[in-house]
Amino acid sequence: MVVENFENFFAWLPSALYVFGLLGVAGIVLGVFFGYLVAAFRHGPFEAFYVVAQVVGGFFPDVFGTSPRRVFAIAKLSVKEALRRKVVLVTFAVFAIALLFGGWFMNAGVDNPDRNYVNFVLWGTQLLILFMGMLISAFSLPDDIKNRTIYTVVTKPVRATEIVFGRILGFVGLGTVLLALMGLLSFLFVWRGLSHNHQLVGNQDLSAFSEIDPNTRQSLSGGRVSENAILEGRTNIASGHLHSVELIEDTRLPGAPEPENKENIVSSKVLPDGKTVYQRVIVNPASGHTHEVTLDKDSAGNVSRINLGPATGYFRARVPAYANSLVFFDSDGSPNQRGIDVGREWSYRGYVDGGNAIRPNSLAKAELVFDNITPDRFENPDLLILEMTLSVFRTYKGDIEKRVIGSLQFESVPADPNTEPVFRSEVSLFETEEYNVQTIPVPRKLTGKMINPDGTIQREGDFDLFKDFAKDGLHRLKMIIRCEDRNQYLGLARADVYFRATDDLYWWNFVKGYLGIWAQLLVVVSMGVALSTFLSAPVAVIGTIVLILVGFTTTFIRQLAQPDASGGGPIESFWRLITQKNMEVDLEPGLQRTLMEQADTLLVNLLNSLTYIAPDFRRMNFSSFLTYGYSVDSSRLGVALLISIGFCLGLTILGYFCLKTREIAK
Amino acid sequence: MSSTKTPTSGESRPRKLEQSNPDYDPNIVVEAQNLTKIYRDFWGRQKVRALRSLDLEIRKGEVFGLLGPNGSGKSTTIKLLLGLLFPSSGRALMFGKDATEVRKNERIGYLPEESYLYRFLTAEETLDFYGRLFDMPAKLRKERAAELIEKVGLTWAKRRQLREYSKGMVRRIGLAQALINDPDLILLDEPTSGLDPLGTREMKDMILELKAQGKTILMCSHLLADVQDVCDRIAILYQGELKELGRVDDLLKVGEETQVRFKGIPESAHAEIRQVIQKHGGEVLSLENPRTNLEDLFLSIVRESQQRPGHRSEGARKSG
Repeated sequence: MVVENFENFFAWLPSALYVFGLLGVAGIVLGVFFGYLVAAFRHGPFEAFYVVAQVVGGFFPDVFGTSPRRVFAIAKLSVKEALRRKVVLVTFAVFAIALLFGGWFMNAGVDNPDRNYVNFVLWGTQLLILFMGMLISAFSLPDDIKNRTIYTVVTKPVRATEIVFGRILGFVGLGTVLLALMGLLSFLFVWRGLSHNHQLVGNQDLSAFSEIDPNTRQSLSGGRVSENAILEGRTNIASGHLHSVELIEDTRLPGAPEPENKENIVSSKVLPDGKTVYQRVIVNPASGHTHEVTLDKDSAGNVSRINLGPATGYFRARVPAYANSLVFFDSDGSPNQRGIDVGREWSYRGYVDGGNAIRPNSLAKAELVFDNITPDRFENPDLLILEMTLSVFRTYKGDIEKRVIGSLQFESVPADPNTEPVFRSEVSLFETEEYNVQTIPVPRKLTGKMINPDGTIQREGDFDLFKDFAKDGLHRLKMIIRCEDRNQYLGLARADVYFRATDDLYWWNFVKGYLGIWAQLLVVVSMGVALSTFLSAPVAVIGTIVLILVGFTTTFIRQLAQPDASGGGPIESFWRLITQKNMEVDLEPGLQRTLMEQADTLLVNLLNSLTYIAPDFRRMNFSSFLTYGYSVDSSRLGVALLISIGFCLGLTILGYFCLKTREIAK
Repeated sequence: MSSTKTPTSGESRPRKLEQSNPDYDPNIVVEAQNLTKIYRDFWGRQKVRALRSLDLEIRKGEVFGLLGPNGSGKSTTIKLLLGLLFPSSGRALMFGKDATEVRKNERIGYLPEESYLYRFLTAEETLDFYGRLFDMPAKLRKERAAELIEKVGLTWAKRRQLREYSKGMVRRIGLAQALINDPDLILLDEPTSGLDPLGTREMKDMILELKAQGKTILMCSHLLADVQDVCDRIAILYQGELKELGRVDDLLKVGEETQVRFKGIPESAHAEIRQVIQKHGGEVLSLENPRTNLEDLFLSIVRESQQRPGHRSEGARKSG
């Protein structure tokens, strides 16, 4: 999964408060300025001061005079009104119909069908709920004003804050209930769509299995089998896929724990050297899941029936322990933040090279430093799971069946390298699995060296990952990834390599995904209500759509407004276009160029400032986390919720001033 | 009318309101000072001068009527007083406070020209909603709503949505919502509009009852008979200008004529009476049996019919 921003709530908070404060100050200055202009137009320049002061001065008494009872009364009324409009009902009906027939178009036979299911329900929910939120919020106040029902409300001791906030609260409350219902239906839809059972082809016992060719280590049908497989069979096709089933020999060293799942053990025997061999039936993963195996045995202990359980592995909420930093080193060994650019337009990943004929021993590597590597974070601290999604860039085709080889090495990060020794593990090689999440088990006991600051080796042998390598205060661990194939490149980004910590609860992660949609709903409803305080309903809808579009394209607009963009800003780019000068050609210095650059700077800054009128909706969108089975971390959730609450607050204040200064009966 | 006091109409908040204005005279409830409203288009060009330099004072406990033909500025005046419109110049004060001050609404009840209520609410829900807007606690809201629904005669329909109500019923519940906070000042915009004669009479009786309780009432109407029946003072507006202001009795008094009404004298005495008047130099304009008005006739027929269902009324026979 692509992760471009790593949220850290407490690191983000000060800068966010600063930006929010700046926005607030800008809003106040602009508001007072435009308010004064309008008041001066109506009442003359001198009385305008008094009018503006009166409106601004009334804000705090109105805020402190806000009554929860009145707010809830308006919220309740808004709910009833929205229900009466039937928009909510229609939204729910459209969603239910989409789910009823959506299953027809879902292909459960593809790799990771759960991604399609989750993606479908999340995007459907998001689209419908935001659309509904926009409609009910943008039409509500203008309709009240048009029908003049607002006359009987504003002639009561109701503050404008109460009207605006009450409406936001009511619509968001209604949206929350609808969202919860949609979430529940979605969960059932995904669960029902993915649940299936298989049976073995042939008899439901070991006689259905066939031998494995001892020379080729392949099944009789020519398929690859596990290293330790001794018999192989397969299941029937269900949900568009089948699994291979194997009888494997699981050999364990003396003193090693028994297999956790004992239900699939056919037999076990202790070898003369003390090792124990367990013969177990396993189902190999397919389409991103597997099935539990349970065995029925007769009185003599022979397997009478092999039972395959329901699908497991779909509903995951993986908690990745990402590295805190990723630094690339080029073939000279000098550090480089971006890695080697292999010419791909998408610069998300950096690459390390595997050397070439001229320089066979490339010093290129990627160093990832992980913090807080402690045993309590992992489900099985004796065997950590490292997951990687590496990209490969080949400069020659070679044997396409042969995978590119990479290597891994671990190192401790001592607080004081001048006095403390460094632990360095042996290099272990791995085959890269492109386009897949690759799982590498990392044992707690690592074989390596303990190296003194002067470079001498203090000790060689087995060391503990937690007690020796990641032992200092920050429990820091360095991982080094190299490419071991000459003329080939391995590409990675920070989010591509992580240790898999104990999984989050799936249902809770699902809720967090929906909390992201809720945060978006809060912003959209606040926008709709705030804009409808001074615009007619259709214009408020258009305004809300524009703000949503700005919110969803914030990152793109900010990239566009980068000062170092090639070819200059809009005016310079246009000039280059009509004078047919490419982006790299320097323009002749002079007044013309200076004017263009200054104008571009102004435009670019304006464009950049405009992105702050709406929040970055992508930061509140956790669809990809749920789709790819990753847990939404609390920092990310906290950031999303705080952004949405901040915007809701700002928009409520905007709505207050607009409503307060509006002639309701005009 | 109930004497129940809501917390909002209690003493503490209004006193604060009054104390904040040193020039405030508690006997003057509504005050318009040079109040002017000009409607302008988007570019600021004058479209209509709806109200010109209105000066007005309404005193505590009186029923004040704003009269005028359509477009004379009656509703504009009320909207300016309520803060629904902002004056182009001049000031509108309620209880000594600017019309845009929200807290003044705690002592005000407003019945708009048409009862702009939420049609998807029932009568009970409507009054509960408006009660909440006055921050009234649940128990008080419930009591007050039940009392007012009974008072306006809608107990039988209190659980029906307002969309099912007739215009007259909506008007009644509109009045009930205006009274939910037991206001000191009640603004009624065309209070009898849409009501049948019975409803009109009840509305007028209710206005008089409210007056008897010491409430101040400001009503605007173009139905002159209604204004005449209930108002102490009136102002007549025409094309946004104040044309007449004063007590109804004084304004309607015809000083040159004398009206005498007798009972129990025979027809033969009429000639003698004429002679006496002529002897004193007077001119007899009319000497005849007085006529009841249509409103009174209608009401007596309805009331009689209610008492004796199935019988033709005496009133109808007399007139027929």
